Amino acid sequence: MQTVKMVISGAVNAGKTEFIKTISEIEVVSTERRATDDTKLIKKETTVAMDFGRIAVGDDLVLHLFGTPGQKRFDFMWEILSEGMLGLVILVDSTRPETFRETNRIIDFFMSYRETPYVVAANKQDRPNAWSPDELRLALRLPTHIKVLPCTANDRESVKLVLLELLDVIMQRSED
Amino acid sequence: MPLVGNIRDFGLSDFLYLVDRGYKTGCLHLSRADEMASLYFDKGKLITAIRKDDVAIVTDLLVRKGKLTPIQAAQATQAQRNDSGASVSQILVNLNLIGRDELQRVLQQHIEESVYLLFGWSEGEFRFEQGQRPELTAPILLTPVPVEHLIMEGVRRIDEWGRIKDRIPSTDMVVKFIEQPTERAKGINLAAEEWRVFARINGKDTLAEIAHKTNMSDFDVCRIVYGFLTAGLVDVLRKPAPVPMLATGRPLAEAPRIKKSLVTRIINRIRGM
Ligand SMILES: Nc1nc2c(ncn2[C@@H]2O[C@H](COP(=O)(O)OP(=O)(O)OP(=O)(O)O)[C@@H](O)[C@H]2O)c(=O)[nH]1
Ligand SMILES: [Mg+2]
Repeated sequence: MQTVKMVISGAVNAGKTEFIKTISEIEVVSTERRATDDTKLIKKETTVAMDFGRIAVGDDLVLHLFGTPGQKRFDFMWEILSEGMLGLVILVDSTRPETFRETNRIIDFFMSYRETPYVVAANKQDRPNAWSPDELRLALRLPTHIKVLPCTANDRESVKLVLLELLDVIMQRSED
Repeated sequence: MPLVGNIRDFGLSDFLYLVDRGYKTGCLHLSRADEMASLYFDKGKLITAIRKDDVAIVTDLLVRKGKLTPIQAAQATQAQRNDSGASVSQILVNLNLIGRDELQRVLQQHIEESVYLLFGWSEGEFRFEQGQRPELTAPILLTPVPVEHLIMEGVRRIDEWGRIKDRIPSTDMVVKFIEQPTERAKGINLAAEEWRVFARINGKDTLAEIAHKTNMSDFDVCRIVYGFLTAGLVDVLRKPAPVPMLATGRPLAEAPRIKKSLVTRIINRIRGM
């Protein structure tokens, strides 16, 4: 049995748990806790260790989805989660510009190890005050070759599209 | 839908960059406590800026500055009422009440000063209304100002490491030009010190090396490069690490190479979900 791994990351409250829940075939193994530090100002429950979702591709192949914890004090987990990943989705809460700098730090973190294929998902596009993918690209100053996709994490078609776009980037780097 | 936020989190210079690169037309409203300002853009360039409690009518402004008599002002205002489309600025020039260059110089100076004051705000709510245009009586520039120029000047007024560190976390980072910087640099008046740094950018030297070669302090070089960065002229990159290491001290495995056939299988699986 071969397993491949994708990582879903982003700032606190970006929608990582929601994203994985929407597409996973198994009940998502989340380690949600009541928020402690500054996160509790934003929400009641936050992911403290990670989320884990799974999609069986066949008898011999399975895709694992890992969501990174949002709170800063769990940063050490990222490194462990990112080992051997095939690709990365960076989720952004498009309605909260106060998280854009943190998002850049997260991208920097992952890219400082190696050039991992990644896409940026402009999440919560269903909310009225969401910044558009084009605006997010400029706000985060993403290079033109990085895809910025509209996303609504609780909509399965939308999540599928983000993953397919990421797979397309991975495909370009794969070997025959 | 308007773009909303606080300049504490998404700075004015970042917003100007977005307006410029996004080729945006509309109005950026800024407010804090009892202060308010509105910056109007046309296709990414600044056309006017109005602060609350400041003169919002171009003829009033020019009379106050001694560039127009009250009678001339009334004449222009009257003419504008009969001409629905044109701005008072345009009418003033059409009627030869003021020279085009003179008008541009006076208004540009006034508008730029208003914007520079805003760079001093460490926080304040912003709201960008797409497509919103100024009143035709406002001090509208006949030649819009490119925002890179404003960004550079605004950044010159920043003297806290905090903001700079956010974008330039270390002096070990390499500075390189973005596509065609000379084209963009045309709109910007660089100070002598800034030229010294600009001339040293080669895509290889780190900020620390540039500081050493120019005999300038790390802070000054970082501040200047921060300006270039914010104006979209350069990029700063981490020097590639020789061997990537995990914090645990183990070297990181190479990115896994994956077979196309495998990726195709995953794609098909997700498509079918
Ligand atoms: N309207 C809307 N709400 C969303 C969307 N995605 C997530 N949410 C909501 O945003 C909140 C945060 O979502 P989570 O999935 O918990 O975010 P997270 O990134 O896992 O958060 P942490 O684990 O705390 O970092 C929840 O209330 C979600 O229901 C979306 O696309 N649209
Ligand atoms: Mg979560």
